[in-house]
Amino acid sequence: MKTLAEIRQIQKQVDEFTLGPLDLTVEAGTITALVGNNGSGKSTLLKLMMNLAKADTGNIKIANTLVNDPEEEWKTHIAYQPQTMIGWDAFTGKALRDFIAPLYPAWDDELFNQLIQAFSIPLNKRFAKLSQGMQRKLSLALTISRNTSILLLDEPTAFMDISSKQKLMQFLTEWMESGERAIVMSTHQVDDITKLADYLCVLQDGNWKGTYEKETMQHMYWQYWMRDALPSEPFPGEVSREGKQFITNKPEATETYLDEHQLSIVNQQTLDLEATLTLLLNK
Amino acid sequence: MELPIRLSKTSREPIYHQIENQIKALIAGGYLQTGSPLPSIRLLAKDLETSVITIRRAYQNLEYQGFIQTEQGKGTFVAEIAKEKKQQVKITSVYQAFENALDVAISYEYTVEQIKEIFEEVLESRSHKGDANK
Repeated sequence: MKTLAEIRQIQKQVDEFTLGPLDLTVEAGTITALVGNNGSGKSTLLKLMMNLAKADTGNIKIANTLVNDPEEEWKTHIAYQPQTMIGWDAFTGKALRDFIAPLYPAWDDELFNQLIQAFSIPLNKRFAKLSQGMQRKLSLALTISRNTSILLLDEPTAFMDISSKQKLMQFLTEWMESGERAIVMSTHQVDDITKLADYLCVLQDGNWKGTYEKETMQHMYWQYWMRDALPSEPFPGEVSREGKQFITNKPEATETYLDEHQLSIVNQQTLDLEATLTLLLNK
Repeated sequence: MELPIRLSKTSREPIYHQIENQIKALIAGGYLQTGSPLPSIRLLAKDLETSVITIRRAYQNLEYQGFIQTEQGKGTFVAEIAKEKKQQVKITSVYQAFENALDVAISYEYTVEQIKEIFEEVLESRSHKGDANK
């Protein structure tokens, strides 16, 4: 598969906070979700990818070009939606569109109009006069329509109502259909992660905990409910226990152990993504 | 949801394998007819809340085994499948269902005799309702 972005051993210090070192490869056709608590470095990583912040060590390539290259052609391959738009307040949606569209050779006006219609975005109102949710929708429409091969979204569905979230997911799914583009998005929304993400890049206070394929994560932890009280000795791979149930990351070894000790299972299942992430982030 | 696929949270069978087997069963059972289109990889990943990597693996295996075929730029379709192959899938899935039921019984420490008894009883109650012994 074609590599669209490559991050190698990137590190960035901001006051007391250090992000990385971190590696990330973004392949065409994939959606990567950046997940982690508030202040874990998700937005910083996106800024580094846009060269809006400079890394202390390591390097980032977009479309095979280092982002600190004086030649800035790579910028036409990537579109970024930050959490807040600076300098947009005085302009109407129409003025913003007329300003942004010519900068991107692949600008898709049809898609832009579809988004404006689907989200009922008023183009004649000044940005500052729009609600928070509407501002987010307009800036998404102005970002997605650039039709670049990489889309960076910083919490795209924050402040959005349920039906708008569903619509956006539909648009992004269709946008990804060709298999030649990629999305990297930071998010706190479980739906974004379960329905859109292929890979999860997990960050905790700037520490990179790993990037996992979703299926790996969906089968990472197993929960068992036992018939009788649990023995005091921990089970293989045990990560937590409560009452007659426990969680392990070594299901095979656990089941061999249970067999050998003739302990009866009442039920068992994988942990869902939300619970798995919580465990990973509290380790 | 385009396809009636249910992923198990209790099975350790890999997710791509569950999807593969359930699509085979939908083909063998006639829900998916020869030539009918399958959802795109991205769409099915969204519906089943899994990744495109998982779906691609399932589709590749199905294609390799001749159940589906991909036409460049057009999409993925159910392939023409021999009767014997469909039959084989049906047999496998019925066996699998019985094996699963047996696992449950064994986990409750039922004896072979008791299991046979239960089977007979279930069969008996079904034939009264008229949906077995046809």
